[in-house]
Amino acid sequence: MRRFGLGSGGREERRRHFVKEDFYSMAEAVPGKKYRIIKIDGGCRLNSRLCAMGFMPGEVFNVSGASMGGPLCIMVKGAKFAIGRGMAEKIQIREA
Amino acid sequence: MADKEITVALSGNPNSGKTTIFNNLTGLRQHVGNYPGVTVEKKTGTVDYKGYRINIVDLPGIYSITAYSLEEIVARNYIINEKPDVVIDVVDSSNLERNLYLATQLMELEVPLILAFNMADIVKKSGKKIDIGLLSELFGVFIVEMVGSRGSGSKELLETVIGVVSSKKEKKVELKYGEEVENEIERIISVLKKQKVSIFNFDARWIAVKLLEQDREIIDTIKKASGPEYSKIDETVRSSINHLTSILRDSPEVIMADARYGFIKGALLEAYKETGPVKLDRSEKIDRILTNRILGIPIFALIIWLMFQFVFTLGKYPASWLGLGFEKLSILVTNVVPQGLLRSLLVDGIIGGVGGVITFTPNIILLFFAIAVLEDSGYMARAAFVMDRVMHKIGLHGKSFIPLVIGFGCTVPAYMGSRILENKKDRLVTMHINTFMSCGARLPVYILFAGAFFPAVAGNVIFSIYFIGIIMAVIMAKILRATRFRGESDPFVMELPAYRIPTLKGILIHTWERAWMYVKKAGTIILAIAILMWILFTFPMIGNNYSKDYAGEIEETNQLYQSGEITSTEQDREIAAVEAEMAGERLAYSAAGRIGRILEPVFKPLGFDWKLVVATISGVAAKEVIVSTLSTIYSIQGTGEEADSLKAALNEHYPPLVGYNFMLFTLLYFPCMAGMVMFRKEAGTKEMLFQIGYTLLLAWTVSFLVFQIGRIFI
Repeated sequence: MRRFGLGSGGREERRRHFVKEDFYSMAEAVPGKKYRIIKIDGGCRLNSRLCAMGFMPGEVFNVSGASMGGPLCIMVKGAKFAIGRGMAEKIQIREA
Repeated sequence: MADKEITVALSGNPNSGKTTIFNNLTGLRQHVGNYPGVTVEKKTGTVDYKGYRINIVDLPGIYSITAYSLEEIVARNYIINEKPDVVIDVVDSSNLERNLYLATQLMELEVPLILAFNMADIVKKSGKKIDIGLLSELFGVFIVEMVGSRGSGSKELLETVIGVVSSKKEKKVELKYGEEVENEIERIISVLKKQKVSIFNFDARWIAVKLLEQDREIIDTIKKASGPEYSKIDETVRSSINHLTSILRDSPEVIMADARYGFIKGALLEAYKETGPVKLDRSEKIDRILTNRILGIPIFALIIWLMFQFVFTLGKYPASWLGLGFEKLSILVTNVVPQGLLRSLLVDGIIGGVGGVITFTPNIILLFFAIAVLEDSGYMARAAFVMDRVMHKIGLHGKSFIPLVIGFGCTVPAYMGSRILENKKDRLVTMHINTFMSCGARLPVYILFAGAFFPAVAGNVIFSIYFIGIIMAVIMAKILRATRFRGESDPFVMELPAYRIPTLKGILIHTWERAWMYVKKAGTIILAIAILMWILFTFPMIGNNYSKDYAGEIEETNQLYQSGEITSTEQDREIAAVEAEMAGERLAYSAAGRIGRILEPVFKPLGFDWKLVVATISGVAAKEVIVSTLSTIYSIQGTGEEADSLKAALNEHYPPLVGYNFMLFTLLYFPCMAGMVMFRKEAGTKEMLFQIGYTLLLAWTVSFLVFQIGRIFI
């Protein structure tokens, strides 16, 4: 069974692969790296707001600073934003 | 000459330099008010140009016209309902892609639109070029380049406004959302038409777009307009949303935002080779220090300390000159007006009451000067960023810290300074707890009572009162957040704009507006309250109902002096003592004195007698008045040793526990009438009444507990 990739081992491997390659939340982003926004899990209102501020899926951003436990400083579409951790957790990202 | 009137709405992103352009266009011909029913500031100004009177309305700075914030709703409703002749969208040309997003939404509203490309110099300096003609063609709007900080481009802008109005020429480009979305828009439009939903002022396509975006305001409007038919519309919209979400794998509002950005990117690719924004190296470098993990908070503390010094230490001088001026005025009036009610009204009521309030004007001017510098330079947003974590713990915003610190100086400017908080709940909670920051006017009361009852440890006692105030603020902030101001507080996202050197003109205009507003209040409503307080403390008049023959006593003193038994200084002192005693009796006889007696049973459980109640009532005029009221009540003559003899009198009449309790009560109940007038102006009558009610209740409860529990131990 394993040879056909149907056993638990294969699934396990796929899952690990998935976790390693894919999504973080913006709250986990660290300064010095570039990330891409994948998805925003807010309600319609929050989505519209973030989109208007330039936080669009597909957009590349970097973290230019963070206060300990407090908001993050995000540079996106040429402007800098302070964004609270709670909100950052709703934004899925990936390394770019 | 100006016979034709035009109304122009000025919109734009926050930090796009909109206000600078507004100031350039209108100069000092501005008027600041509020939009009806909300606390969003409405600035209007006029300019006469080529036979037109142009009324300019400065809309709040917004990123989009979704219904996310009050500012956005206000701006949108203004454009839809008031139908200005032209809408100008101020755009930061150093960051076109982001700024043009609002422009695409304004285009959808189908208003005559002009784009003002501000900060054109920054783009030119970086060696890039925007093909204005082509971009104007692609967007279907007029574009004017300007440099707000240097005042250039205003004429061209006015020229374009007149051109648009007089020619009625409308360029029009419709933004398309791609086939799938367009199909759904069509479907919704046809349902809307079938239901014959006539929504005055709105365009069907725009409504369809907003319904797909699930815009709350529009949904509510449609619900009201369509009545029972709404379920059919709702059904269609839901099925459209589900359909789009399943085929495009994202919710409609994101897809539509993507289409708008796509439109902008496409246009910029043709008209502006570099779509990326101009780099902001200098701001980055400054931020590395100012928002540094370790240095951020100390730097913030230093800046706030400097601001406090600037406002209160520097402001002390002009404030004392003003105080001196009012004193001179009182003397002048005393000399000119014959003794009697009119003199008393002028000197004690009007000059005393209004003068005491006007004296704060220098502090207010300096405070708003400092706030304007911090805001226009871009630091204010950093301050909020740095303090957010600490303030967040008690349910407040990072920026709340600033009005709270101001509150230690004077609560009135602190209420006005709360305007820096955009979110209404944050603002109201900050205002409601600000009174617990002991203002400067309360210090004389603390000094008197701590000195009277705890002379050895007066400093520590006063410190304990300040500290209790801070603790109460934290507790009340938590309670208010959990009760009256519950619900989702706005999630924290805030732009940190590039640092800029503020323009003097902008700062001066901003400062002037605030100072003028304050002076106007002092001249109107505060004047009325001051007169009312005077009436309370003057009427009914005692006439000849004194308990002793004071006139006889004075006569006796005069005779003693004439016969040479006492010196003239002794005579003066004797007479002053008699007059002080008379004043005490007059006060006891007055309405305030009677109210004090009537309310005495309510305050008995706190250990207060009617005299302390009267003092508390007089504190409504201004807290430092408590000291002079107590002097009057205890018949202390105003001859220098005033403070010491008053301390002795208090110590004789009350146990230390009551003294401490009175300080607590003075700390906790709402600040003076000027404060309440400002509170009402900023937050409305309902909130002001709540502030008065809850602080009185809190002050009573805390003092009650302290007195009742303290009594067991002492």
